[in-house]
Amino acid sequence: MSDHYLGEFEQVVLLAVLRLGDDAYGVPIRREIEKRCARKVTVGALYSTLDRLEAKEYLSSWFADPTAERGGRSRRYFRLEPAGGEALARAKSMFERMWKGVRLA
Amino acid sequence: MAERLLRRLVPGREGEIIAGDLREEFAARGGGRIWYWGEVLSCVAVRLSPHRLTAPDLRQDLHYAVRVLRRNPGYALTAMVCLALGIGVNSTVFSMVNELFWQPLPLPHSGRLAIVGRESDGMACSYRDYLEFRQRASAPAGRLFSGLVAYDDMRVAIDSGGMSHIVGADAVTANFADVLEMPAQLGRWFMPEDDRLGSDPVAVIGDGTWARLFGRSPDVIGQRVRIGTERYRVIGVAPPGFVGMSPPHLVEIWMPLASQPDVRDLLANPGEWERPLVQMIGRLADGQGTREAEAGMRALDARIRRDFPRDNAPAGAITVAVATGASRPDVRAVAAPMAALLLSVTAVVLLIACVNVANLILSRAAVRRHEMAVRRALGAGPWRLVRQTLAEGLVLGAGGAALGLAVGYWSGRLLARSLPGFPHGGMLALRLDPDWRVAAFAAAAGLASALLFTLAPAMDAARINGGGSRRMRQRDVYVVAQVALSLVLLIAATLLVRALEHALEVDPGFAMAGRLEARLSISEPEYTADTGRLFLDRVLAAVQAMPNVQSATISHNTPLSITDATCAAPDTNTRPRRTGSDIVAAGYFDTIGIPILRGRAFEARDRQGAPQVVVVNETLARRYWPAKEPIGQSVWLGCDTKAPRTVAQVVGVARDAKYASLDEPPQPFVYRPLAQDWVGFMTLIVHTPGRPEQFTAPLRAALAGLDPDLRVYEIETLEECASGSLFRVRWQAALLAVFGGLAMVLAAVGLYGVVAYTVAQQTRELGIRMAIGAQRGDLLWMVLGRGLRLTALGIAMGLLLSAAATRLLGGLLYGMSPLDPVSFAAASLAWTAVAMLASYVPARRAMQVDPVVALRWE
Repeated sequence: MSDHYLGEFEQVVLLAVLRLGDDAYGVPIRREIEKRCARKVTVGALYSTLDRLEAKEYLSSWFADPTAERGGRSRRYFRLEPAGGEALARAKSMFERMWKGVRLA
Repeated sequence: MAERLLRRLVPGREGEIIAGDLREEFAARGGGRIWYWGEVLSCVAVRLSPHRLTAPDLRQDLHYAVRVLRRNPGYALTAMVCLALGIGVNSTVFSMVNELFWQPLPLPHSGRLAIVGRESDGMACSYRDYLEFRQRASAPAGRLFSGLVAYDDMRVAIDSGGMSHIVGADAVTANFADVLEMPAQLGRWFMPEDDRLGSDPVAVIGDGTWARLFGRSPDVIGQRVRIGTERYRVIGVAPPGFVGMSPPHLVEIWMPLASQPDVRDLLANPGEWERPLVQMIGRLADGQGTREAEAGMRALDARIRRDFPRDNAPAGAITVAVATGASRPDVRAVAAPMAALLLSVTAVVLLIACVNVANLILSRAAVRRHEMAVRRALGAGPWRLVRQTLAEGLVLGAGGAALGLAVGYWSGRLLARSLPGFPHGGMLALRLDPDWRVAAFAAAAGLASALLFTLAPAMDAARINGGGSRRMRQRDVYVVAQVALSLVLLIAATLLVRALEHALEVDPGFAMAGRLEARLSISEPEYTADTGRLFLDRVLAAVQAMPNVQSATISHNTPLSITDATCAAPDTNTRPRRTGSDIVAAGYFDTIGIPILRGRAFEARDRQGAPQVVVVNETLARRYWPAKEPIGQSVWLGCDTKAPRTVAQVVGVARDAKYASLDEPPQPFVYRPLAQDWVGFMTLIVHTPGRPEQFTAPLRAALAGLDPDLRVYEIETLEECASGSLFRVRWQAALLAVFGGLAMVLAAVGLYGVVAYTVAQQTRELGIRMAIGAQRGDLLWMVLGRGLRLTALGIAMGLLLSAAATRLLGGLLYGMSPLDPVSFAAASLAWTAVAMLASYVPARRAMQVDPVVALRWE
């Protein structure tokens, strides 16, 4: 096992970035999570998690050109790095192993 | 506005991105100010959370700091040693304070042991009240204490090897050891049958007494020793480390309370409710806190007073407090101001050490300017650099605290052993053992000093283009502050040392040289007043017949050590006033060298049955008969106006002397003749032309020859008595001298550092000066002058500070002015000499600068 494993919200964020592919920046990531998980996400919590995941090199980010609809500000796009994919796979298989043969009454 | 707040709090690109996201969503949602604010605040909350602030990089900072310090071991070690000295003395003094105020008793579950008593009566209550409390407070319903012990502090004489030793003792109830959960080291503690009227007197001795008087022999059990007037059978030895209920006040003997003669007599009278007074310690019952127990005891107290009414005024309320440190209020009262003084002195020492380290960091910062500039260029923000400096400070502080604990431990050991003794044979014993409180204190001191000494350099590091000249000025300020602070300590120490000398030079009004005193107990049951006087006559005759004895005499008081007092009045109508008193033999005034100014001294005719006579001193004569001839006047002696008082006729006036201490103002004093008054405790004073110390052994042998059972306490010269009476000032002078010396060394190191650094910085300038013809002497003076200028400024400020601070020493100066010019001048001169030395070493290096090398430098 790796010494780093993912927190629940970290998994959610990584999966959202994975799902969105090339369109993964702040606003859609938040929308994706709010839509699929039916839970509120604040922008502060989201960015602190994104920063942490980038520090662990599970994600990388780059800045796009500024757009007018954002008041002349650029977007920060995120992309899943191989290490992030591995971490997600590890988390998934861990859960699968734990669920194997378990039935909730 | 919310956007502006966001941009302010989340700086840089990240703020931009978040603001952009929010703007986009704001538009998509079609408004929602409250939503927008909520989002901004969420960012702010996440940003400001401590986890976010410290955790990610702190480890990295600390790691880097350790690496930097390991690469510069000299720098790190110097800083840590400076801090360790500062923290060490602080933790030593703190462990003293801890011991006096907070340390629990060295017993199991000591947090449940509580001192119970009336605070107004020195935490005491009457023995009969205790018996009621004990019965009612342990009743199964509403149980307050699982056990309640009564004890009485006293001093007793224990005899061993031909000498009597005065030691602290506690008379305790038989449940003592059960309640304290303290098994005996050897033998056993008391049983109920030991604590009954008429039982065989038994005693338990402390570990110290066992070692000192019995060489830790197990045969001590069952031995009879004379304690006071009775022979007690030793039945046990208390565990090591237990010195009674009010450490550091030493208790070395425990005896059953009810077998004490005074308790016995008082218990014989069932109407006696107020005496004897005892103190109480109890183990709180399960589920009882001190507050509940206190309320319960007060209710019990009211009920007991109702059941057994007594005529005198109501007593103070009962208080219950966990037993920590010195539980005796009198010990606490003496210790508190002393502790405050010492702690502030050591805080100054630590401050000086911190300034030293700050100076070190500043000079390192100059060297590391390059590194800092690179890091800034690579994008490190000012806060990041400040944090880096703080991390280095924390590592230094932690190292300093750890080393400081070790220093504190050893200096505590040294201090406990080398401090001047307390008077009356070590009644107090400081152990100065570190515990978790001392460790926590050292850690806190390390942390506080880390913040203190890194803050200024850190601010400096963060400033863009920290100008060299500004930094120099800051370092100068530090040096000046160090010199000033250490000068204050030095002046205070010099003042105390001078006060000591001054006090020893005070004319005591009697002759001390060549006089030796021996304290004798001539009390019942061995002696009555009549047989005692006859015995003393034999003692005087025998001692006067010894070779090398000029004269010998008897008095009740020991000058400057143990003094008695009574009340005197010139007639029956005047209220009696407290007056020093002594009972002296006929030759007393000659032997001790106090001249009789008028009338006569005591003579053989002043015997029992003859008219009662007294000799008074000048002050008393002047006070009662200002314009009249004192000889022939009457003096009424005795404090109780109802009881019959003695009336005596004044036959002589003696010159004033110092009686209890060297710094006392003139006291009224009255001497009574030994033939007409008696106390079973006397002092033999011998005048020998030789060295009195060498007379100790023959004197002891002579006394043993007269009565092998005679109890003889300390044999001392009068000079030793006088110097013992100065123990408080001696104690503080010793400590302040140590701390002042340490402060001066630290400050001198600081000064040296600054001057050496200047020389290193000015190497090029010095080289140029030399190349264009400056003499080596000129350079020497240039560097030396700089150090001396700083010192002079520091001394000037230190003198001003001292003038304000030394006033606090007022009570210890024995009449000397707190602005004593000699002390101020001596300390300043000493500092100037040290400053010369501290700047001379780097100045010499400046002289040896080779101009060619200097010019090629850089």
